[in-house]
Amino acid sequence: MSDAVRTESLTKYFGPVVALEALDLSVARGEVYGFLGPNGAGKTTTIRILLDLVRATTGRALIDGLDCRADSMEARRRIGYLPAEMPLYREMTGAAYLDFLAALESRPVDLSYRQTLLSRFDVSDIDLRRRLDHLSHGMKRKFGIIQALMGRRPLLILDEPTSGLDPLMIEAFAETVHELKTAGQTTVFLSSHVLSEVERLCDRVGIIRRGRLVRQTSIADLRRDTPRRIRVFFDGSAPPPPTGLFAAVRRSDARHWELEWPGPLGSALEAMRGLPISDIEIEPFKLDDYVLEVYTGTAGTRS
Amino acid sequence: MMFAALLGRSLARHRALIIAVATLLSAFQTLDVVVAYNLQAKGLYAQFATLVPAFIQEAMGGVLVGSFAGAIALGFAHPLVMLSLSCVAIYLASEPSGEVEEGLVDLVVARPVPRSLIVTRSAVVYVVGSAAIVAAMFATSRIAVRLLSPATAASVSAVRLGWVAANLLAIVWCFGAAALAAAARARQRTRAAGTVALVAVFFYLLQFGAAAWSPLRPLARVSPFHYYEPMQTLLGSVTPVAHLVVLMTTTTVFLAVAYALYNRRDL
Repeated sequence: MSDAVRTESLTKYFGPVVALEALDLSVARGEVYGFLGPNGAGKTTTIRILLDLVRATTGRALIDGLDCRADSMEARRRIGYLPAEMPLYREMTGAAYLDFLAALESRPVDLSYRQTLLSRFDVSDIDLRRRLDHLSHGMKRKFGIIQALMGRRPLLILDEPTSGLDPLMIEAFAETVHELKTAGQTTVFLSSHVLSEVERLCDRVGIIRRGRLVRQTSIADLRRDTPRRIRVFFDGSAPPPPTGLFAAVRRSDARHWELEWPGPLGSALEAMRGLPISDIEIEPFKLDDYVLEVYTGTAGTRS
Repeated sequence: MMFAALLGRSLARHRALIIAVATLLSAFQTLDVVVAYNLQAKGLYAQFATLVPAFIQEAMGGVLVGSFAGAIALGFAHPLVMLSLSCVAIYLASEPSGEVEEGLVDLVVARPVPRSLIVTRSAVVYVVGSAAIVAAMFATSRIAVRLLSPATAASVSAVRLGWVAANLLAIVWCFGAAALAAAARARQRTRAAGTVALVAVFFYLLQFGAAAWSPLRPLARVSPFHYYEPMQTLLGSVTPVAHLVVLMTTTTVFLAVAYALYNRRDL
């Protein structure tokens, strides 16, 4: 079965500027995929090529095996899209806006599902009757999310979906993504700078830097492979590290050690048995640390 | 359904502009008929004709300007009328670049909407919008002539005035199509519309200049205004079929260019 999203040697030049360089990525059906990268890395250009808003210089992009350029219409029938910056017809009401976008769908929008989304994102009838230019940034974002989801497309491309949302609405969004993931009918391609959100929602991440994919891996693999930071505090002065821990110690002073431990923690804890330990701090896995290393080019080449 | 939604949205966005210009230009027609009636009532046409320099008379359609029918035709040949109508069509037709500039096109084209539909929508909006304005001008002019000067109404044939209006509309559509072609390439509406509007003013001045200075006459053939003879058309000495063919062919070429450019561009 073909991937939900696939790019093959995707390259895009804007004049002399290289936006994408031989990008190869793949997203399986039903997966929640985090597409990460610093500003200007090429995330939005990739998304716009998938939507056939921008044409690749060379290479190709496929949605469900359909070429995004040659079979553009058929590919776009499968996509629900939320842009990072929500374009709005300012003079329209929220209801008219959703109706207008629903009229552009290839099949009728399920109004009961739309109502469910409106309730979930706490959009009232009063909000629906207000002009879009009178709404707050967060409320406009909610309309953006609803318009992307209401068509019940098999692929959702969401660019910075929770930007400007309050914690309750971020939770509502996460709940929606979880539901879609559980149902297994929808692939979510999500670009975000909120790495805690990506870590929580995504099965896999792809990290792009200067137009190139520098890492594509699952969150589970990252959790497993990324060394955990452990701080060990002692009653009295710190003893010399035992042989089993020696290589992992990154810093030590009179009262504590700081270790970076790859893999399961059991053997590290076993090696500490019998030591006069007063406290142990184990930092939880944080995608932020790893991604920042990749952004700055200091991460290893694990894949 | 899809096209109706796009068309309805665009017309809703431009409704106020179309109504405002239709009202202003219709008021201008009324004023024109009132002035024509008063000049006739006071027998001032002969005097009026001697006051207007020959090259201006020629630029405005010839010596026929010194008549009631000529004054009525002026309502469709005044530079203010021609250029404001052209500018409205140019602005309406430049919508695709405005949608790119504001990002509005992203949500539309991210759905299964063919790009050609965006161009067709804008073509229909500028064609229908400008036609509605010219229709309002035509209707107002006819009503004003019948109400104010029933005795002379017969001297201004509705069919001949219809030809004048159609010829004017063909010029306006030609500039609109050029603006649509420019907008199919541009990322900013002001750039697309502004450039074509300046070209329209230049072509008007070229045609006007050619009337005053004969060496310019061969050049004036490139101006759409060259293919417009309202006075002669109104009085029946010219039926502008050939002019319409030239203008509509040019319009068709520009529309084809607009489709090709929009289909190839990055949005």
